[in-house]
Amino acid sequence: MKIEILGTGCAKCVKTKEIVEKALQESGLQADVVKVEDYETILSYGVMITPGLVIDGEVMIAGRIPSVDNVKNWIIGQ
Amino acid sequence: MTENMKCGCECECECESEIVGIYPCSGSANVGIISNQLAIGLTKAGKGKMLCTAGIGAKIPGQLRSAEGCDRVVVIDGCPMNCASKIFENAGIAVDEHIVVTELGVKKTRDMDIEDSILSESLEKCVKLF
Repeated sequence: MKIEILGTGCAKCVKTKEIVEKALQESGLQADVVKVEDYETILSYGVMITPGLVIDGEVMIAGRIPSVDNVKNWIIGQ
Repeated sequence: MTENMKCGCECECECESEIVGIYPCSGSANVGIISNQLAIGLTKAGKGKMLCTAGIGAKIPGQLRSAEGCDRVVVIDGCPMNCASKIFENAGIAVDEHIVVTELGVKKTRDMDIEDSILSESLEKCVKLF
């Protein structure tokens, strides 16, 4: 599983990464977590507001920090 | 390209505390063209961020998630056909503010050359709505 966190390294993007790591830890699953800071790549997903979260190519959320439970549901559903 | 990206955080980057998405109908009549220009003008005035209505109609996941991530969604339709607001209705995304250019006093025509005075007057009326 590949999880991409879209953002430029600001507070909400950093928080999103922390939440993803916590969700992985609690669910006992493993994934490649990648921070994407390149605007062209972010825009290629159609994401116009950050932070964004992409799981295996699917945009799950944009502009908001997801909850740990949300992320857990998304990754378990993969 | 950084000016095109909107961050939802509270850091020292370009982001704002409230994310306002501005979606014009971008139709082909004069009022559709004006809707597009108003979205640009409102973005430049710092009232929000012009986003892509076509992306909502096409149900592009990233565009849908971006609209859902907005604190407020403002739709600018050119005329009472309300195409842009219907796109949002079809996508199941609530519209917080709906502006119709003809209701700003502009008559719908097929004229593609928009007078600067009409644009500036319409923008002034829109800014007051925010």
